[in-house]
Amino acid sequence: MAAVAVPRPSSRRKHLSRRFHRAGPLTYLFLILIAVGSLFPLYWSLVVASHDNSAVSAYPPVLTPGHELWHNIHRLFNSGEVNVSFWTALINSTIVAASVTAAVVFFSALAGFAFAKLRFRGSKALMLTIVATMLVPVQLGVIPLYIEMIHLGWVNRLPAVIAPNLVTAFGVFLMRQYIVGAVPNDLIDASRVDGCHTARVFWHVVLPAVRPAAAVLGLLTFMNTWNDFFWPLIVLSPRNPTVQVGVSTLASGYVEDYALVLTGTFISILPLLAVFIVLGKQIIGGIMQGAVKG
Amino acid sequence: MRNGTAIARVPAVRKTGRVRQRLRRLDVKASPYVYVAPFFLIFLAFGLFPLLYTAWVSLTDRNLLDPATQFVGLQNYTDLLHDSYFWNAVRNTLAIWVISTVPQLALALGLAHLLNTKLRARTLFRMSVVLPQVTSLVAVALIFSQLFGRDYGLINYVLGHLGFHHVYWEAGRFSSWIALSVMVMWRWTGYNALIYLAAMQAIPDDLYEAASIDGARPMRQFLHVTVPMLRPTIIFTVVISTIGGLQLFTEPYLFEPLHYGATGGSDRQYQTVAMYIYEKAFASSQFKFGYASAIAWCLFLLIAVISAVNFFIVRRIRSAE
Amino acid sequence: MGYVASTASAKSHATITLRVSLFGDFGYHDLYKQFEASHPNVDIKEDIQSYPDHHSNLAKHLATGAGADDVEAIEVGFIAQFTAQPQYFYNLNSYGAKSLSKRWLAWKWAQSLARNGAQIGLGTDVGSLAICYRTDLFKRAGLPTTPAKVSKLWPTWQKYIATGVRYQKKSPQGVHFFDSGSNVYNAIVAQANPAYYTAGGKLIVNSNPKVRQAWNLTVDGIKKGESAGYAAFSTDWNTGFKNGKFATVTCPAWMMGYIQGQAPDTSGKWNIAAVPGGGGSWGGSFLAIPKQSEHPQEAYELIKFLTSPAAELAVFKQTGNLPSQPALLKSKEVQGFRNTFFSNAAVGKIFATSALKLKPQILGPHQGDIQTAVSSALQRIEQKKQSAGSSWKQFLKDVANVAG
Repeated sequence: MAAVAVPRPSSRRKHLSRRFHRAGPLTYLFLILIAVGSLFPLYWSLVVASHDNSAVSAYPPVLTPGHELWHNIHRLFNSGEVNVSFWTALINSTIVAASVTAAVVFFSALAGFAFAKLRFRGSKALMLTIVATMLVPVQLGVIPLYIEMIHLGWVNRLPAVIAPNLVTAFGVFLMRQYIVGAVPNDLIDASRVDGCHTARVFWHVVLPAVRPAAAVLGLLTFMNTWNDFFWPLIVLSPRNPTVQVGVSTLASGYVEDYALVLTGTFISILPLLAVFIVLGKQIIGGIMQGAVKG
Repeated sequence: MRNGTAIARVPAVRKTGRVRQRLRRLDVKASPYVYVAPFFLIFLAFGLFPLLYTAWVSLTDRNLLDPATQFVGLQNYTDLLHDSYFWNAVRNTLAIWVISTVPQLALALGLAHLLNTKLRARTLFRMSVVLPQVTSLVAVALIFSQLFGRDYGLINYVLGHLGFHHVYWEAGRFSSWIALSVMVMWRWTGYNALIYLAAMQAIPDDLYEAASIDGARPMRQFLHVTVPMLRPTIIFTVVISTIGGLQLFTEPYLFEPLHYGATGGSDRQYQTVAMYIYEKAFASSQFKFGYASAIAWCLFLLIAVISAVNFFIVRRIRSAE
Repeated sequence: MGYVASTASAKSHATITLRVSLFGDFGYHDLYKQFEASHPNVDIKEDIQSYPDHHSNLAKHLATGAGADDVEAIEVGFIAQFTAQPQYFYNLNSYGAKSLSKRWLAWKWAQSLARNGAQIGLGTDVGSLAICYRTDLFKRAGLPTTPAKVSKLWPTWQKYIATGVRYQKKSPQGVHFFDSGSNVYNAIVAQANPAYYTAGGKLIVNSNPKVRQAWNLTVDGIKKGESAGYAAFSTDWNTGFKNGKFATVTCPAWMMGYIQGQAPDTSGKWNIAAVPGGGGSWGGSFLAIPKQSEHPQEAYELIKFLTSPAAELAVFKQTGNLPSQPALLKSKEVQGFRNTFFSNAAVGKIFATSALKLKPQILGPHQGDIQTAVSSALQRIEQKKQSAGSSWKQFLKDVANVAG
């Protein structure tokens, strides 16, 4: 840099990193187009859900919302009309997602803390094992897992979809990365010196410090569990479904009423949408932080 | 809660008895294992054990309906090698993965570039591109199946207006691949864009300064500064996309008009490997668990190999810059 | 259609819930109400899934020992698969079914018997065949419109295809003669006996010339542009009814209810003619009680009621599902029944006559899967993805895959 002899003030300003440049109109145009593309399918599903079944096969296609949304929602929950109990589906999904989220956050914090701050033999090897498990596809263990569930008597019952998901490698990984940075070693040493055994250190020092990461992990886990489809499809049945299986059952009904199916779809997205609108900024922050730290 | 300023209390600890000291040492030595135990116990019960059992089941002819099971060695695997439906599924899976991943990551890169400016309503734009992530796969598949409908779908309607013929998306091979890739891209582009954005914003400014003093125009700066610096992140997204993309199941499964046993269309034109596993194991009245387990292990192998290949490709290309 | 399947009033001490699992609307809603009224401690809930899902899930539930309902409907295409495993079902003979056996057509009763003599199901309907056609579209194409004249147009399937050619000459753009190759094929094959299996259970798909003949006839019709190319029961097919995209459809009795549900606005534009080849059957179901049920006695009462003559007659009047009991088929109510949706055709007489003449086909365990394979095979031709020769070869491969 010392070789630069000629100061050129005007060009200096061009050297500013792009992110401090104001976005030009072209940028806005593209971004708006992409935003519309992202939102349109959801909007369209709402349009169909708010008409009766004829709108699906209307030509030219219908693009504006109708007045039937409330009526369709009413039909959806009237289980005499529909081939799946949607209330059951929503309640089941809530139970499953809530328990899985609580467990994952807690166990990930436990293990993440151990890997981040505690020294023990084999910690490197074990950590590597955990990372390696992320490579394994979901479908691989599905068949024996199903056989296991038969033996445990959990087929068609909620424990079957809760138990296998109580811990995730991703959660441990995330927590470890976070705790390494966010919990200063001096703090831990100091409280040790004060006579705290490990459990107290965990409870009083680590847990409060990981709240942001716990929140992000919790949100992502809740989302993923809510949206899980493959395993619940196999081990549960339309009589005791989670909401995704419920929507798919709606779609395979005898007489196809797509307005009803997309109403179910829309209702199934609604809780996540609400969480997203309220906590969107944190979710984005979490995704981006995870990207840098990873 | 004790904090760092309580250091003055140190002398009190030294007066601890031997039993206490032993317990302390036990605590320090044993706690880590206790803390990681839940993960490994649950993983052992519901993760590792099924994995090993799949390997075992794949060496038998286990069938859900038939109680008698026999050890058949590698018979399932050799049958697989000759199973044209299996190779068909592999081809479909790879094709859909390529079509959905390569444009998607390029688009994500560009999108991140666009977002990497001083924007008004910054959070709003970021939220809108990530919103597709929130929708479930089931929802995506059902909504897009309607949009890609032959006679009444919105996309064909637009095509018709632009003067093109209606495309029978679900029936064609290439067209079904494109439809499914659009679903995947719609869902993941924004998410990957945010990841790239975060990494972009961590690039030190001096690099850009140096580049433009050397006379580099913005495009060159992008190619020679941004992209190389993003290499680890790109590797990360490529590997994650590979793992996820090769397991594709929900979208093609629900794309079918009647989910006739997960065959992926009348000609199996979009049957993925995951669907083939499901078909053999659960869908038709076959319940061939042994055979399906063999397919599952081949899928795992495929993912591992392709991930490794991608890893090395991306690493090489970028370091040449 | 806002019907709630259970009445809230029946809350006495030991209320039991009976779950009934079906793959379509069997027209039982009013019957449930009647049963609940006469059995106040019983509460009935209905589960409906798509046809392939229903049977696949049933097999899964039986094998894993959990998840089956108290009453499970089994369609004739899958009945052979389940009669091969009678250990999963209650033997209805031990509940007194044998004394009722004379009610049914002999072959219907026999279809749900296991090899060890156990009766696992009571017959609901039979799908005797006719052709439903759109009178207005026929008129536009210059064809006759009364059932008698139309039936004379096609005494054989060859003549049916030939009528299609005649129709296509004058039909408006985009309106085909029939809806789907696989429906036509299924009707033709249904008249063959034996078709896919011999009485001894041997698979004869490849060697049976009647199967090949059915295939060739259908392909001929497809090649002549007569097929609208829909997959039966898909959304597009449903919409095809609504928008009049095809003029004829092979019609088992239960198709009447289906058409009425899908395209209520086309009332009065349909009529029914005889099917080429005389008789034929497509569909027909049974009600079975899996051993998993904790209330077999009440479940048996329920299915006895649902398949009683009065009930089957009520269902016939509502959905068109044809009773499987000869006394009913010959009764005045059935024989004299007319359906206004179908231009007041004497549907009772047409279908009942066809059913009484019917000689049933021998079924095998993989009947349903073979049917699925041939549907895909014909679809591939309709979608112009394969030639007829290649598609046939692949169909045989699929059959070997599934049944071999």
